[in-house]
Amino acid sequence: MNKLVAQDSYLTHLLQQCEQKPLVTDGFMADLLPSLRKRAAYQVLESCIPTKKDEEWRFTDLSPLVKVNFQLAGKGNITPNLEPLIIPEASHSRLVFVNGIYSHDLSDVSAIGSGIYVGNLTNLPPEHQGRIKQYLGNLEGTDTFTALNTAGFRDVAIIWASSNTVVQKPIHLLYLSVGEENPGFSQPRTLVVAEPNSSVQLIEEYGEAENSPLPYFTNGVTEIWVQENARVNHTRIQRESQEGFHIGKSAIVQGGDSHYTCTEVNLGGKLSRHNLEVHQQGEQTETYLNGLTVVRGEQVGDTHSSVFLTKPHGTINQLHKCIVDDSARTVFNGKILVPQAAQMTNAMQLNRNLILSSKGRVDTKPELQITADDVKCSHGATVSQLEEDEVFYLRSRSLNEREARLLLVDAFAGEILGRIPVAFLGSMFHAEAQRRGEDYDLYC
Amino acid sequence: MSATVKTLVNQPYKYGFVTDIEADTIERGLNEDIIRIISAKKNEPEFMLQFRLKAYGQWLKMKEPSWAHVTYPPIDYQDIIYYCAPKQKKEQLNSLEEVDPTLLATFEKLGIPLSEQKRLGNVAVDAIFDSVSIATTFKEKLAEDGVIFCSISEALQEHPELVQKYLGTVVPVGDNYFAALNSAVFSDGSFVFIPQGVKCPMELSTYFRINNGETGQFERTLIIAEEGAEVSYLEGCTAPMYDSNQLHAAVVELVALDNAQIKYSTVQNWYAGDHLGKGGIYNFVTKRGLCKGINSKISWTQVETGSAITWKYPSCVLVGDNSVGEFYSIALTNNMQQADTGTKMIHIGKNTRSRIISKGISAGKSQNSYRGLVKIGPKAVGAKNYSQCDSMLIGDNAAANTFPYIQVDNQTGKVEHEASTSKIGEDRLFYLAQRGISEEDAVSMLVSGFCKDVLNELPMEFAAEADKLLSLKLEGTVG
Repeated sequence: MNKLVAQDSYLTHLLQQCEQKPLVTDGFMADLLPSLRKRAAYQVLESCIPTKKDEEWRFTDLSPLVKVNFQLAGKGNITPNLEPLIIPEASHSRLVFVNGIYSHDLSDVSAIGSGIYVGNLTNLPPEHQGRIKQYLGNLEGTDTFTALNTAGFRDVAIIWASSNTVVQKPIHLLYLSVGEENPGFSQPRTLVVAEPNSSVQLIEEYGEAENSPLPYFTNGVTEIWVQENARVNHTRIQRESQEGFHIGKSAIVQGGDSHYTCTEVNLGGKLSRHNLEVHQQGEQTETYLNGLTVVRGEQVGDTHSSVFLTKPHGTINQLHKCIVDDSARTVFNGKILVPQAAQMTNAMQLNRNLILSSKGRVDTKPELQITADDVKCSHGATVSQLEEDEVFYLRSRSLNEREARLLLVDAFAGEILGRIPVAFLGSMFHAEAQRRGEDYDLYC
Repeated sequence: MSATVKTLVNQPYKYGFVTDIEADTIERGLNEDIIRIISAKKNEPEFMLQFRLKAYGQWLKMKEPSWAHVTYPPIDYQDIIYYCAPKQKKEQLNSLEEVDPTLLATFEKLGIPLSEQKRLGNVAVDAIFDSVSIATTFKEKLAEDGVIFCSISEALQEHPELVQKYLGTVVPVGDNYFAALNSAVFSDGSFVFIPQGVKCPMELSTYFRINNGETGQFERTLIIAEEGAEVSYLEGCTAPMYDSNQLHAAVVELVALDNAQIKYSTVQNWYAGDHLGKGGIYNFVTKRGLCKGINSKISWTQVETGSAITWKYPSCVLVGDNSVGEFYSIALTNNMQQADTGTKMIHIGKNTRSRIISKGISAGKSQNSYRGLVKIGPKAVGAKNYSQCDSMLIGDNAAANTFPYIQVDNQTGKVEHEASTSKIGEDRLFYLAQRGISEEDAVSMLVSGFCKDVLNELPMEFAAEADKLLSLKLEGTVG
């Protein structure tokens, strides 16, 4: 397709597979998609799989990923059982994608009212089709994996809230990986547009349908446009299998007076990485980022967040917590960039890490880059084990050692889980955390 | 910024004069022959030449690092003069009287009198001019206690076994690009050896002066404190004002054995360039201390006010059990200065502790970054670290960045990191103004208060001087 010399055979291999099985909607939006994909494909061919020498991937080694020969996943061998995955609050406002392909049978959008479109790209109403160009794949400075997704996504989940629409029901986006004969590779894509004065609640969930022993690779990208005075409350759940590789990007663009909250919970994946990128492009914009990563075994859980401010009076409040057990590792890199124009910024960032085992490892790097003087910015990071004084206090209240330690771990995670806006999910995670707690190596 | 304030900002750099002196320089550029010439000029033992050539070989294979948050035009390493010494009348100097009076006058002008009558009471000084050491004071008095304090060239002649044993053990020749360059071409520096159980009776100090406009200064300092020894060492630096940039790539190695303590303080005031960023020193320095023995302690204190670009991370490798590393830093940048500085605390031994206090002040259009690493290894049971980095912004064109890296490989490790960024408080300025204190004085009071934690760590005479230096550098930046 071009004279470029491909830089990286592994990326080229993935890209070629995407090109062989073209997008379901090819020819459907001929003015947009072919050029978008071509541009992204160029970028992929020009780049390499990042190594530990790249600052952005310094602590996360991708070589286990590169060792696997992934094949672009099809529709899967089985129909997944949705029963345990249904969230009661969103039982009729749900989109399901299997291996990145829209599943009409599993989705249920009967509770979706007027003023909002919830569906896939193929069924996008004509009034939105003309305007999608300014949103889809429109962020500058994308990384290699995002470009790979853009070059090869099979479909797009779209949530488009028109002006002044307030959606009460949370919308559940469920991305399932279903095993096939070979290690599968899928690229879910999401686009959320919240027009001025609208309000949307979103649950984005990644998981695996059956416990397949094969590795698989999910490379997801979510773009969220929060326009003037709109609100988006985003819950992101990553529960890939212990063999799964997950690289996800969430890119958020916020207009003036808008409000965006992200609560992410990362539990799964042999290797998972979440790139969270927020661009505040209006005044008085508020961003709240909450995160919890719980890893054990040999898992690696990596979160890289960056918040770019451009206008005055922005607010950012970030709290990211990690619990590390066994030989697992977590990585956190939080970047906040405050240029000169973003005066009166109020930014808070805190990363707290709890290590429960002797072999656990934590790498954290909070990062502030500030060129404005009238700002209030602070960040902090802590790494520790459970506080002996606290354990002692609980023991003096007649809890045994294990109970005392579990209660403290529970409270540590509870600070984030309590911020999930969907009650069912909060209690589900709480129960799951307790189940997991039984395996914790707590040095009792 | 008010007008009075503006005039005050452009305070002339007091140390910007050039000493007119005949110098012995070698040709420009860098190759194996140059290294052999430097080594021969200094009449070095064979192992040193091999050390240099090995470093040069590694340097050729390395790439200049680009990760620091600084920008500068590419450096032409073949356009630098790697050796420049003022011409002396005699080859071997027996006493201070034989030193060229121009040189003595230069140091006197810089506030470092070397002659017997005028020298500072309780501070031994090694004065280094371009590539060579001019004189070292109080050598005999220190020798009474067994303390060796001399230039590294002299140490290579008189104590080659000590140099060979320790040189390159803390900063290996191929450690990084600038350290490799230094290892290949270093010309002079100080050597300190404190024998077992000796508390060094006076402060030791080295004063570095770059005079020639085309030379790079590549000094090498090696300090060894044997079991139970203690020493406090201070370095100061200045350079004349040139329109071109000069490279200063130093390497400092500290070794502390069991129960030894080393305190290393720096007041760095290289020429910083003018308000448009023209000229100034590129200060690319590798400093590292090795707490080799149990209960040893290394403490770095730095006041960084000069240089066009500072790229410097004084580090502690805490190998001995219960060893302690400390880092206290004030980095002040003004005009177009760029600083990317911080520390590395590598915890290897059990119950090792480290503390980092970093204060960054950026004014004008400067860039000031803190970059630090705290690494707790798998065997560092019970290691603790506390880090605090505060930045103060003066004016809305200045930038302050923090890049702390924390790597914990051990569940018993405890790491706390805090950082804050704010501007100089207007309500505080108002409060002081209301008490009849001028704006200028109020700013310097607030800055001095902001830096107090670090200034307290400097030896007393120097703390007062550093405080003065800070207020001088900042005069008129608020308005």
